[in-house]
Amino acid sequence: MAGQRKGAHVSMMDAYRIAEEPYYRDVGHEVELFRAAYDSRTPVMLKGPTGCGKTRFVEHMAWRLGRPLITVSCHEDMTASDLVGRYLLDAEGTVWHDGPLTLAVRHGAICYLDEIVEARQDTTVVIHSLTDDRRILPLEKKNEVVAAHPDFHVVISYNPGYQSVLKDLKESTKQRFGAIAFAYPDPAIEAEIVSREAGIERGMADKLVRIAERSRNLRGKGLEEGASTRVLINAGRLIAKGVPPDRACQFAMVVPITDDPDMRDALAGAIDACL
Amino acid sequence: MDWQGRWRAALRRIEQAGYGANVYDAYTAAGPALWRNIGPGAAVDLGRSVSYVAIRSGKRAAALLPPAAVEASERLAKPEHFARWLETVDALAKQAPRYVPLLLERTGRLLGVLDIQAFIAFVRMGLSIGRSDNERGRAFFSLASAEALRLLGDGGVEAFADRRAALQAYLTALWAIHPPLVEVPADAPEHLRRRPGFGGGGIRLPSAFAGFSADDQTALYRAALAHIGAHHRFSRTTFPSFGLKPLQIALTSLIEDARVERLAMAAMPGLRRLWGRFHMARPEGAPVAIALMARLSRALFDSDYVDPHGWVEKGRRLFDTEAASDITDPQLSRRIGGLLGNDIGQMRLQFDARAYVVQPAYRDDNLGLWHFDPQEDLPPLEMDAVFEGAVVTRQDGDGGRSETDPDAGHSAGKLRQGCDDEGIVSARYPEYDYLSGHFRPAWCTVREVAPAMGTAAATAVLRDTRSDLVERLSALMRSARISRQERVKRQPDGEYLDVDASIAAMVSRRVGEMPDTRIYGRYERRSRDISVLLLIDVSRSTADTTRDGAARVIDVERLAVSVMARAMESLGDPFAVAAFCSNTRDDVRYCRIKDFGQPFDERCMGRLAGLAGDFSTRLGPVIRHGGHYLRGQGTYRRLLLIVTDGEPSDIDVDDRQYLVEDARTAVRDLKRDGMDVFCVTLDSGAESAAERIFGRKWSLAISSPDELPQRLPQLYLRLRS
Repeated sequence: MAGQRKGAHVSMMDAYRIAEEPYYRDVGHEVELFRAAYDSRTPVMLKGPTGCGKTRFVEHMAWRLGRPLITVSCHEDMTASDLVGRYLLDAEGTVWHDGPLTLAVRHGAICYLDEIVEARQDTTVVIHSLTDDRRILPLEKKNEVVAAHPDFHVVISYNPGYQSVLKDLKESTKQRFGAIAFAYPDPAIEAEIVSREAGIERGMADKLVRIAERSRNLRGKGLEEGASTRVLINAGRLIAKGVPPDRACQFAMVVPITDDPDMRDALAGAIDACL
Repeated sequence: MDWQGRWRAALRRIEQAGYGANVYDAYTAAGPALWRNIGPGAAVDLGRSVSYVAIRSGKRAAALLPPAAVEASERLAKPEHFARWLETVDALAKQAPRYVPLLLERTGRLLGVLDIQAFIAFVRMGLSIGRSDNERGRAFFSLASAEALRLLGDGGVEAFADRRAALQAYLTALWAIHPPLVEVPADAPEHLRRRPGFGGGGIRLPSAFAGFSADDQTALYRAALAHIGAHHRFSRTTFPSFGLKPLQIALTSLIEDARVERLAMAAMPGLRRLWGRFHMARPEGAPVAIALMARLSRALFDSDYVDPHGWVEKGRRLFDTEAASDITDPQLSRRIGGLLGNDIGQMRLQFDARAYVVQPAYRDDNLGLWHFDPQEDLPPLEMDAVFEGAVVTRQDGDGGRSETDPDAGHSAGKLRQGCDDEGIVSARYPEYDYLSGHFRPAWCTVREVAPAMGTAAATAVLRDTRSDLVERLSALMRSARISRQERVKRQPDGEYLDVDASIAAMVSRRVGEMPDTRIYGRYERRSRDISVLLLIDVSRSTADTTRDGAARVIDVERLAVSVMARAMESLGDPFAVAAFCSNTRDDVRYCRIKDFGQPFDERCMGRLAGLAGDFSTRLGPVIRHGGHYLRGQGTYRRLLLIVTDGEPSDIDVDDRQYLVEDARTAVRDLKRDGMDVFCVTLDSGAESAAERIFGRKWSLAISSPDELPQRLPQLYLRLRS
């Protein structure tokens, strides 16, 4: 019975494995750093603006290390039981359902908590016992203590731009992690990434990156955040499909980012200047 | 009597009154036209007005009236509109007869643009200006002043104000710089209005580019900013002008323009399209210096352009050779400019520095590129322009004001202790004229002035006293829950069933445990998400004592504000503090004491302590300006809290109702944009218009800060709803 259940879970884990190599361009020494952190099971925090490649990086590392990856997108209403698991009712009675964190702990996956500051602070403390040398997860309701699988690893991400007094990690949470800071890559590297991911010529990718720089100049001066690498790739993909570059840029880099007519006007001018 | 008879009687009256043949002839000629256009009554009525105008404004004005009436009758189709036009002219003749001829001479132009409503507003506005300053009134009615032109929609003034934000963002996007963009006033000297320019930390732009279509205007503004940004990035230093002739200065600037544009286009190739459309020089016409220079500009910009003139080709060759070796070196422009200048001299071509305008139109006048030595004997054009450029934000109002208002000169001296003397023009706001129901466009100029620091002792009082009040207020604010409603789960009672908790309770029952009965949820305001902008009135009247005579109003204001600020600071709520006063609509002063995101520290308290009461209270533009800052705050509620001592007033307005109604409109506009405006009036015994402006529930009167803890809950209660 137990074996059967375990078998079922192992095959379930397969769904979390990444078969193909996700493209990732190493810019600093983050691959090396992450591997070392994984080897010593030091929890890792990824910091950086939206769309700069944090999630892609985790996927890439999970593929490299051959571990399943369980991603949880954190949100305000998330409770500890959304992470850990809960009893549910079925026709026969009550059934325990493991939450994503418990799944990762039991089966040795990498658990990636995306945008962790979105979750309330009292929710995030459940990872404390997993991120120090205890490496255990107590399931209070079930009266069980799960010892972490040796391969289990915690990765969290957050965007320092969204930080406010209300939304920040507890000091005691922060200090359990090693951190890798992400930024938009250098123009040459970013163009290489855009060109490869979107399947467009290098020359066009260079132009897109230049437009992105213009829009990042407006950060904090009308825009919350400039165009990210992800946005550039979206624009590039449309261009690869034959959409005229200025229209593709409007679609991917202007309209989604701002509703302010003045900002749209300025961005349209900047796009025009760069193409 | 039939209409024929009445018309003849009217004619006879004019004839016998002895206004002279001119008046009589004009009336005789105008009568039939009016009869035809409007009706016989209009022709007869005009006679009465002609007599009245002749008595009030003289024979010349009376002779102007009949032709003007014919023109008005053609523009105003409806008889009742014509009647109102005539009434307005009569009213002007009654109140300010000296302006009547000016108005009548321009009837066609005015009614070509304005409808009758706007025409009446125009005359009223002119009357209000003329009342305080005859010269300005005269300029207004002769359509020579900027404010009159603005009203006529000439000069694209509105257009620039509408464009400013987009242009500012465009400049920032392209070059990552954000100097202020200043519009050159419509009444500035001609040479400043022709071309954009930079220097002194700002960029000045003409209100419109003369001779270009509306479509081209946007492109020209962008082209100008892209070009000036390129100077910022690639010119970096200024050239010394010492020992250079105007021609050499102009040519060096021309080469430098080409150099920075080439560098800019390497980074942003699309700029070639933007700039290229304005290079319209052709290889034709007389080879005069100015034309050749425009052709050289084009040759350097456009490699496909062919020019038969040897000088132009030489310029291109020199530039291309030098650019190939090191285009990043600004000295290249000096060298080539010098060489080409000598050639012009050898060709014996005249260069008229006064007539020279940089081509194409988007390029700046290059004054920002040069470092002029004030001792040097420079051509007058450049000298004027340099000094004008530095003071372009100042207005001509000062001299005129001190003449008409002896008080202004006296208080200006005082002001220098309180505030920096001129300040930066940071915005122009429209003002609402309740009589005409129209906004007067760009009517009030808000200047941000630097605050003065108070003495250490005064600062210490604000910092250290009344901690008891601070504590009571912060306790009060802490308990105020002003935020979006949040969902609270697992409550013993509430407005909905918490599904998660209900399932957990069922589970507990099934496994035989005691279920948790807290299975409800509800919506609650749990935190405080509010930003506050405190505005302090520091007008002259705040130097009076409060009604009980115990203290000066401004001291009470200061203490009240510091107590509120200290309380908010201790809670970590975002807030800002600013003070305001005004000295006519051209000089509304706004003095920032603490910005959002800045701590309320010793320096802020020093500035607060340094406030001195002077000038008047013009609330409308201040509310609009405060709203501008508050609008950027991302909190749930945004509160503009005004601390004042009475009703708005200013020396250039004698209708008290006017400023009250304008302030009311400003408050209404802010509320419409989702901001709250609240007023704390310090009871100085003066009549208060606060309820009229802010609403009864949005204002409260106190006479000492001690009343704040009892009275402020009223405010927080209102914010909850």
